[in-house]
Order: sequence, then structure tokens, then C-alpha cells
Amino acid sequence: MTGNAVLLEAEHVTQRFRLPNGQVLEALRDVSLTVREHEVVALVGPSGCGKSTLLRLLAGLAGPADGAVRYRGQPLDGVLGAAAMVFQSFALLPWLTVAQNVAMGLDARGVHSGAQRDAVARAINLVGLDGFEQAYPKELSGGMKQRVGFARALAVAPEILLMDEPFGSLDPLTAETLRSQVVDLWRDPATGVNTLVVVSHSVEEAVFLAGRIVVFGSNPGHVREELVNPLPYPRQERSPEFEAMVDRLHGILTATLLPEPAVAAPQRLVPFPRVHVSEVMGLLDHLLTQPGGKGAVFELAEDLGVDYDRMSAVVRGAEQLGWVTTPGEIVLLTPAGRELMAMDDAARKDATRVRLSRQPLFARLIAMLREEGAVDDEEVLADLTIYFPFIPADSLYQTIVEWGRYAELLDHKPDVGRLALLASSEGAPELRPE
Amino acid sequence: MKPLRFPLALTPPLVRRLGLADIVILCLVGGVIAAVVAFAREFEAPFHEAVRIDLRPAALPRYTLYSLTRGVLALLVSYLFALSYGWAAAKSRTAERVLLPLLDILQSIPVLGFLPGLVLGLVALFPTRNVGLELAAIVMIFTAQAWNLAFSFYNSLKSLPEPLCDACKVAGWSPRRTLWQLEVPAAAQGLVWNGMLSMAGGWFFLMVNEAFRLGDHDYRLPGIGSYMSVALDQGNVPAMALAIVAMTVMIMAVDQVLWRPLVVWVEKFRLDETAGGAPPASSWVLAFLRRARLPRRLAVLLRTARRATRSFEGPLRAAGPVSVPGVALANPITRKMVAVVTGAAIVVAAGGGLWQLVRLLAPLGWEEWRDLAASGALTFARVMGAVALATAWALPAGVVIGRSPRLAQRLQPAIQVVASFPAPMLFPIVVFLFERIGVGLGWGAVGLMVLSGQWYVLFNVISAVAAIPEQFKDAATMFRLSPLARWRSLYLPAAFPGLVTGWVTAAGGAWNGSIVAEYIEAGGHLRITKGLGSLISDATAHANFPLLAGGIALMSLIVVGWNRVVWRSLMTWAQTRFGLGT
Repeated sequence: MTGNAVLLEAEHVTQRFRLPNGQVLEALRDVSLTVREHEVVALVGPSGCGKSTLLRLLAGLAGPADGAVRYRGQPLDGVLGAAAMVFQSFALLPWLTVAQNVAMGLDARGVHSGAQRDAVARAINLVGLDGFEQAYPKELSGGMKQRVGFARALAVAPEILLMDEPFGSLDPLTAETLRSQVVDLWRDPATGVNTLVVVSHSVEEAVFLAGRIVVFGSNPGHVREELVNPLPYPRQERSPEFEAMVDRLHGILTATLLPEPAVAAPQRLVPFPRVHVSEVMGLLDHLLTQPGGKGAVFELAEDLGVDYDRMSAVVRGAEQLGWVTTPGEIVLLTPAGRELMAMDDAARKDATRVRLSRQPLFARLIAMLREEGAVDDEEVLADLTIYFPFIPADSLYQTIVEWGRYAELLDHKPDVGRLALLASSEGAPELRPE
Repeated sequence: MKPLRFPLALTPPLVRRLGLADIVILCLVGGVIAAVVAFAREFEAPFHEAVRIDLRPAALPRYTLYSLTRGVLALLVSYLFALSYGWAAAKSRTAERVLLPLLDILQSIPVLGFLPGLVLGLVALFPTRNVGLELAAIVMIFTAQAWNLAFSFYNSLKSLPEPLCDACKVAGWSPRRTLWQLEVPAAAQGLVWNGMLSMAGGWFFLMVNEAFRLGDHDYRLPGIGSYMSVALDQGNVPAMALAIVAMTVMIMAVDQVLWRPLVVWVEKFRLDETAGGAPPASSWVLAFLRRARLPRRLAVLLRTARRATRSFEGPLRAAGPVSVPGVALANPITRKMVAVVTGAAIVVAAGGGLWQLVRLLAPLGWEEWRDLAASGALTFARVMGAVALATAWALPAGVVIGRSPRLAQRLQPAIQVVASFPAPMLFPIVVFLFERIGVGLGWGAVGLMVLSGQWYVLFNVISAVAAIPEQFKDAATMFRLSPLARWRSLYLPAAFPGLVTGWVTAAGGAWNGSIVAEYIEAGGHLRITKGLGSLISDATAHANFPLLAGGIALMSLIVVGWNRVVWRSLMTWAQTRFGLGT
């Protein structure tokens, strides 16, 4: 497969965005990716790792800040005509009928009148929407809408089909049906679709679709690893080979999401993951019910019904507070975590306060508040932006305030926009050694 | 129960923080005032015999039609303006930085003050015919209609979901096709609702626009506004009543024939699909049009014609990079140069504007400035009083109407028609009534200004209260809140953000209203009370241009400053403290 001609390539691309508060976020840093003919490439990784940004760059919808995107060796300086795109939110125009939506891209590709009608009919037939030509999108279910989205993309007979979490807003059953149909469409020479690039949130989906899986890491977005998936199509989701592949990808993702803590610098300032108190407590509670107080990240995510990257953030939060450890893919409740679960509400708050004041970021914040009394929100936000330029400071601050309030450590007055230590907590961490 | 959908214009207007850009823009606007006035002074307006207004009832339909035509023409111009202005502001970040604050200031300054300069200028341009006067009237109506339309279009462009724009780009749509098939349809609802408000706003100064005196010249255009003013001059009560009836009939007819069908039709262009049930609104005109055969034939014909002329999409190679035409200046040096040149041009223009304004204001002495300040303070007090009075009745009424969806639905069309009626047409009658009960114009003007601003408070309170989720009301019932507690802890806090939005607009209306409310001529008898509004009117009547410019500049400064400092912080506070959105 590697012998095929290079179709699309991103060379050392970097992309930055300016947030409304003026902070500049780097969404991608020095990312290189090559897409060859007849490939299915899946981009996976935690949310905010820039995989959708990369997809937009490949489509020519935006230009990179640095680096270049090439199609068959030529630099892209506009929308890539050889590609079509399928969106998570469907992106259908509600005032156009199904047929009109499907025809959207045809005029610009020089397909008019009779030929256009034929192309529309063929695309609608491919996705099984016959009879719905005159319906408006709002009359259709989510699955049907996404079929229209696929028909619109297929109507232009694209060489490359770019898909941004195409099954993300569908119910699991519909998603499964559509997924196998996409593989069929790709394998069917009549559609003209040669190559697929899919951004995915689901490990199983990536393993089911892709011949090559690119794993992204975040802050800023970068390529962590590429995995070749040689399983023959059509793939059987229950086969041991498939399961083995899924496990392998799980392993890589866990290593990406839960990096082993740096041994050398224990006092390094790490951002606190943006998770709620209730989420961490929920995780600990759930672990308590598991044999041995442990579980794998992906199983936990499935059990608790959350995304794996959300789950890993919760695990990282619990880990920073010393309530779990993460040997490899396993999340293990620590004795301190067990103790915490046995406490009543007030004792839990006290214990959390002790733990928080040892977390380097909170410790620094507490020291600053001790020294200066109350501090304006703007000042804290500015500090956070300097420490963690890749994380939106607003939402990190919200998390800090939530935990600080829960632990009765911080006092935040939103009306005046000031943060202070709660009077009762002054000195408390020292007085209560563990 | 689905919350009632109220005009999108009632979403809080963009009130911005006072910045350097504002000062530059104020200078620019000041310069334009000065330039127009100076231009006007250059030309001695030719003698123009005032059009004779026929007070017979038979003439009224014709006059009504004239006024209506002016309003509709101005609205068309306003839509064109809104589309181009909003598009430019949304597409170019550099343009946005200038256009947005400019729009914000334009919509909060009293445009009536520009009338004399405009009339003199345009009459000088067309000395032999009434074209100049007509143009001036249309431009004046336009200035009352255009700004919120432009804002509305800008806002919907800015809030378009990115995937939709991406989908159009991937489809290879040209900017023109994207405008007509994505951007305008997505903005259609806002444009129609705001058009309705704009039309109502355009009528506000109808009487002044069609008949006013400048120095010793009497400028008059045939129309319902001038009919009313002549009837007032002559104290002809039946004619006054007829004019009011004709105005009401016109507003209702426009509502039924134009706005209702449009409102129902644009439901089709909603982007969010949250509506559970079918929209309850219906329009007999639209139903008729949909049943009728002729429009359908016409549509087929139009479609055929469009197909025949369709070639604006150049064929696109099926493969390979596609250049999408854009306004991007690829070269960073070129871009920087353009920015520097534009910036310099703006600074020069602002400086020139300031100098013009200073030169125009130079003849004003210390005495006159003191008079201006005192008048400003007096009118400011009246505006605040009017806002308070309007709140006193409209807040409770709005809560009562808003909390009952059935009542709101039934009253909404009626309120809309009543609110569209130009309040100044009623001023003389209200003043007569005030005089009967012994209220002078000094206090009476406050009442008149209530008339010009009250509806905004009512509308905004209704829509805020109507948006309270049902669960909140259920909770209040479950916990057996007394009626008093229910108002205190649910309705008033929920209504507050809407109330503040209403205040901003109502105060604007009251300031505008002060120009006609403090200076009333009726029954051949002129009533004046001291204030900034009467000062502006008086300066107009005596062609005292320096004083006129000073009055307008002062009023603009007060309104813009108050908006930026007080209303803005109040709005932010109301939103964060009492906003229902989480």
C-alpha cells in the first residue's frame, strides 16, 4: 500500500488561533502527514488535539500558519476540488430540499441540467434515499440527514472523501449501519471515491475503517504515533484479530493520554485537568465497586458512559490528588482513595483541601493569595496564560475555583471578580498533616 | 409549551465600551455634520412656494399613498445598505474595526438634527423641482431604518455555523452564490423582524420630515404627515382625526399585506430546528398567494429565466486545487501598506472633521454654551423621568402578558400595530389634554417622551418573561410561592435583562422624541419649554447653524457616553447576574 502515489500531504504544518480573550492557542505544531491513493486514514486523539483542524487544512478550507499542504505535489491555495467533505453536524441547508442539497457542489464542477439530475439521482440511490428527494432536512432523522451528507459528497465523485466525525451525532445502531456502508462505498469502484480520511472519536470505528491510524497528542496538537492496520476488509468486529488491534490502539492512546509522570521534576507545574469534583468522586466510587479497586481506562469509560479522553482527564485529576495510580493502562485506587471514599462529606472536603494544597499549581496559587490577600481574576488569568499557553485560561480557572470552593479553600466573588483564601482555611493544610 | 418568538431585534443591542475608535468616529461624524451644514450655507435656498395641502377627506388616500411610497423606498435602500454594510463588516476584520463602532454611534445619535443641512443641500442641488425635498425626506426615513438592519445582518453572518460555511466552500460556491443561498436566507428572519421595527421607526418623524420650517422658508411635501401638520395649524379637528385613522389603516394594511406573510414565509429559513410544533403564525395573504396560480406561473417563469442566465459559476476542474476567489491580500507587505494608508486616511479625516466642527462651533459664546449645558441637563432629567414612568406601567404589564403564552400570542399583533404608530402625531392632542388638566409642557414633555419610548420596554419585558422555562414556573407552584414572592424571586429577576435592553432603546426614543416634544406648534400657537430638544428645534426654525450643530453634538455626546458607560455596565451585570442562559 505504501507503494501508491502520494495524493495529499501536510508538511510540517503549524496552526494557531486567537481566542476571544486575546490568548493565542497553537492548535497544531509541526505536523506532517502523507495520504496515498487507495488509503483509508483515521485521525484519532483526545478532543482539542487539532485533528479536525488538520482535516480543514487538508480540504483547503484554511491555510496553515507555517508549513505547506500539497495535493499531488502542488501546493494548495484554495479549496481542494478533488475532495468532498462530510460533517459531524451534517451541515445541510435547511431551506433546500434533499435533492438541492445533494446538488450543491455540482454547478461549480461544471455539471449542469440533465447531467446534474443524473448525478443527484445516482448519489441518492447509492445511500438509499430514493423517494426522499423532495423532503426538507428537518423532516429527516439524524441517520437520514447524514445519508444526505454522504450523498452530497458522493455526487461530485470525489477522489478524496474527508469525514469529520461523520457518525459522531448518530445513535450507535445507525452509526454502525452507516459505517459498514461507507466501507462498501469505498470498495465499490463505481463511486469514484479513492481515498478516505476520517477524524474519529471511537477506537473501534478507527480500527473498523482505517488501514492506517494516526494518533494525535494535545497541547499543542502533534502526531504521537502511526499504526498500520492490515486487517482485510470487510472487517469482523468480533474477531480476535480485530479485538487485538483495538487493544493495541487502546494501549497507544492510554500512553498518550496518561503519560508516565516525569520522575525528575516532581515540583514541575502541571495544569490541573479540567474536570468536575463530581466526576472524580464518581470515578472513585465506581472503582470501589470493581474487584481489586481497579479497571482499564477504556472499560471504565464504557462503564460510565463517557468519552475515553474525558475519562482519562478524570483519571489524571484523581492521580494528581493521589487517589489513584495508573500502572500502564490500569487505574488503581490507592489507600488514600479508599480512605476518602469511607469518609463523610465534611471529612472528604478536609482531605481534598490537604491534597489540593500539595498540587503544585494550587500550592503556588495559595502562596500567592497568602502573600497578597485577595487577587483580581485578571491577574490569576494572566498568570495561568503564562504558565500554560496551550490551555484556555478561562476554563482552567473555572475548574480551579470549583475545586477550591468544594474544598472550602478558596473564596471567589464573581460580582467583583476577585479570588481570596477562605478565612477558615488559613493555615489549615499545615495543621492537618495526613 | 414553546416560548413565543419575539423579534430578534430584542436581543440586547451591542453596547460597546468607550474606546479610542469612538472618539475618532465622533470626530468623523461631527465633521460630517459640519460639512453638511457648511455646504448648505453656501447655497441660498431658492424661494419655494410651499405645496398646498388639501384638507378634504378625498385627498387623504393619495397623501397616504405618497407617504407609504417614501417609507417603502427608504426601506428598500435600507435593506441594500444593510446587506452591503453588514457583509463588509463581517468579512473583513479591518473593516469591522471601523464599521462596528460607527454603526453603534450612528444608531444612538439624533438624526433629526441633520434634516436642515440635508434639505438645504438637496434643494440647492435640484432648485426647480421638489426632487431635493423628496430625497431629503427619504434619506431621513432611511436614517431611522437602516442601522438595526445592518446590525442584524452582521450578527447573523457572524453566528453562522462554521460547518455550513465550510460545506458551501467545499461545494465551490462563489461568494455571490453563498450570499444569496446561505447568508441571506440564514439572516432572513432577523431581517424581516427588524424590517418591521425599522418601518415603525421610519414613521416616527413623518410629520417633521414632510413639513418643516427653516428660517423663513416653509418646506412641505404632499403626504399624510404634512396633512396632519396643516390640520393642526388650522385647528381642524375632523381632519386630525381623519389623518390618525388613515395612518392606522395604513399601518394595519402594511402589517397584513407585507409583514405577516413575510414573517410566516421566513419560518422556512430557520437554522435551528428546535421548534416542536408547527409555528402558530398564519397569514391569509400568504395562504392566498400560495393558492393562487399566477404567482406560481411567475415563479416558474423566473426560474426558467434564471436557468437561462446561470453562468456565474465557472466550471471547476474535477481534481486539483481550486482557487476560491477571496479578498485576501496575500502579500504581508501589501497588507501592511494598505492598513497604514487606511489608518492614516482615517486619522486625517477625523482631524479634518474635528477642525470643521470646531470652526462651525466657534461663533458660540460662553453664554450659549452655558445655555446648552443647562438645556442638556434638563432634557436628560426628562429622559430619565420618561424611562422611569414607562417602566412603571410597562414592567408589570409586560410580566402579566409575558407569563401567559396565550395572552401574549393574542396581544402581540395588536401591540405591534399600536407601537408602529408614530407618537409625535399624537403629541399635540396629548398636549391639549394636558393643558385641560393644567399640566404645562415642562412636565408634559416627559409624558410625550414616555409615548416615544414605552413600547420598547414593554416588548423587551414580554419577550424576557415569555422565555422563562416552564419548570421554573412549576417549581414556584410546587413550593407554594405567594404571588408577591413569585414576582420578587422569579418574574422580576427574569425580566431584568430584557428591562435593561428596553431602557437602552426607550431612552434613545425619548431623546429623539424630545426634539418634537419640547417644541410643539398646534392651533397656530407655539409652545416651547426649555431643553436640548427645543433648543435644537428652535435653532432649526431660526436657521442658527452654530447653535444647531452644538445642540446635536452635545446630544450625541450625552447619548453615546451614557450608553457606553452606564447602560453597558448595567447590561453586562444584568446578563451575568440574571441571565437565564447558563
